[in-house]
Amino acid sequence: MRRAARRRLAALGRLLLLGSWGLAVAFPMYWLVATSFKPDHEWFAWPPVYWTRTPTLENYRTVWLGEARVYRTQEALSMQKPWLALRHSLTIALLATGLSVALGTLLAYGASRYGLLSERRLFNLLMLRMVPPIVVAAPLTLYYSALHLLDSVTGLVIVYVITTLPYSVWMTKSFVDEIPREVEQAAAILGAGRWRTLWEVTLPLIRSGVVATFMFVLILTWSEYLIALILTKTEVVTLPVQLAKYEGSAEGRVYGRQAALAVGVTIPLIVVGCLIRRHLVRGFSFGMVRR
Amino acid sequence: MSRRRAPGGLFRWVVLTPFVALLAFIAPVFLLQLYVSLHSWTVYLTTWWDAEFVGFDMFREVLTDPRFGWAILRSLVFAGLSTAGCFVVGFGLALLMAPSFRGHGVFYTLFLLPMLTVPIVIAYTFEMLLYQKGPVNGILSALLGTDVTVMWLADPRIAVLTTVLLEVWNWTPFVFIILLAGLAGLPRELEEAAASLGASRWRIFLEVKLPLLRPVIVLALVLRFLEALGEFPKTWALFQGGPGTATETIPVYLYLTTWHYFHVSKGAAMSYVVMVLVVGLVLLALRVLRRETRALDRMDGGPGGAR
Repeated sequence: MRRAARRRLAALGRLLLLGSWGLAVAFPMYWLVATSFKPDHEWFAWPPVYWTRTPTLENYRTVWLGEARVYRTQEALSMQKPWLALRHSLTIALLATGLSVALGTLLAYGASRYGLLSERRLFNLLMLRMVPPIVVAAPLTLYYSALHLLDSVTGLVIVYVITTLPYSVWMTKSFVDEIPREVEQAAAILGAGRWRTLWEVTLPLIRSGVVATFMFVLILTWSEYLIALILTKTEVVTLPVQLAKYEGSAEGRVYGRQAALAVGVTIPLIVVGCLIRRHLVRGFSFGMVRR
Repeated sequence: MSRRRAPGGLFRWVVLTPFVALLAFIAPVFLLQLYVSLHSWTVYLTTWWDAEFVGFDMFREVLTDPRFGWAILRSLVFAGLSTAGCFVVGFGLALLMAPSFRGHGVFYTLFLLPMLTVPIVIAYTFEMLLYQKGPVNGILSALLGTDVTVMWLADPRIAVLTTVLLEVWNWTPFVFIILLAGLAGLPRELEEAAASLGASRWRIFLEVKLPLLRPVIVLALVLRFLEALGEFPKTWALFQGGPGTATETIPVYLYLTTWHYFHVSKGAAMSYVVMVLVVGLVLLALRVLRRETRALDRMDGGPGGAR
């Protein structure tokens, strides 16, 4: 009896602790979503409005359809480009991620099966990625302006491919390493060439891994801010940069609008992240932790 | 099991060419950085190829700049505190989540969310939460029964704490999922053997689980610390280094120097110093990680390739 009671108490305690952190996680999320539905006089109200009784779609309409009012200042005009930002963000993220994962898979395969790059060298490259990108940002801008790549989709895609390549290589490599070599050797004995083995034997086996890697890298490129901020001016704009432009506009803080845009930016990431939640460990630990 | 002979010819080239091309493409950036850091160039004065050669003057200026020293110190403190915070919370959650129970999946998914949120979004969300007459102070006031008016965003002494708080909120999931995976991967036999020898649960944790878990812990801490050193979007979006210089970490100061004061040469010299610093830290981390991953590989069915 006593034992059972103790166990129940322990379970209760655990639920309480987990629940309190769950609350700490959920509340900011809730607040963001709630704010996006609040009319403007409730954004700063005191006491704060925890549950709005007058929900409105006004914020979403203004931000995403831009029909509510014509802004005058330059800064505020830039607010009107969420669809452009969405298009650019999608293009850049998909292109960069696709290239990065394709190249990463090839490299991982070469490294895992043929020792094309030694593990040690690969690992060093990976750790160099840990140097914050801002240290090369200034010369990168000069370089790009000389090449006319500044403020262009191509320019951002190239940089993102380079910065995410280590993640792609290591994550796909962890999947390739799990395929027994014997399978490929069998294919080779049956007369399949290197390419055919890769294409018809290995790739189908690691398909779900490649998809997970793709989604993982997509998360990284979608939310990147610093490089996008530095390498774009007026032509190209990504969603995180667009979001930051709501700062300090003529009419001050516009929490509701920010929230409406932020919700739109965040939802795709959460969906993608939840789809690969079991693989996130692998991605973030560069394939070193796998379960 | 021996590795197949490294192939020559087409295969090798197809695999390596794009990689080498990318490296070749990005290499001039480092040369440009060298050039800029040895010249004195401010954007609005001349074009960059007309800049005056000044040798190591810029480096001297950087190394004697107290503001830079403070930025380094601040970054280290920020990274250290936030790593510690992430570790305490993340490890706690992982331990609580290690046994399976009803609702496990819901909590797991919920705990992941902060990591999946765009950093800029996190910054603005917390701005909405933390301003002086905001909901966080509102809730604290209601709970404590007094008027709480903490200036989370405007008080220079608290601002650093706020950035740490954001970082912990943002990246606890990272530590959590890695340690949870590590815990799940521990061989049960040792635990059972220790239990059958009469070891208490506390002792099993300290003397069996913790040593086995060490490589995973070190990995999580090292990666988190290095990432935190480069944190920019949240700190920038919320504080721009302010109030005063309270939250001016290395990335923020670098950004300010180059893009607000347009002192590109000084920024480049500073970048070099930071690069040397971080590469030094990374090399150190590499040594530690190599030793630990070797231990990780030895673990039964353990993760990670030979390294």
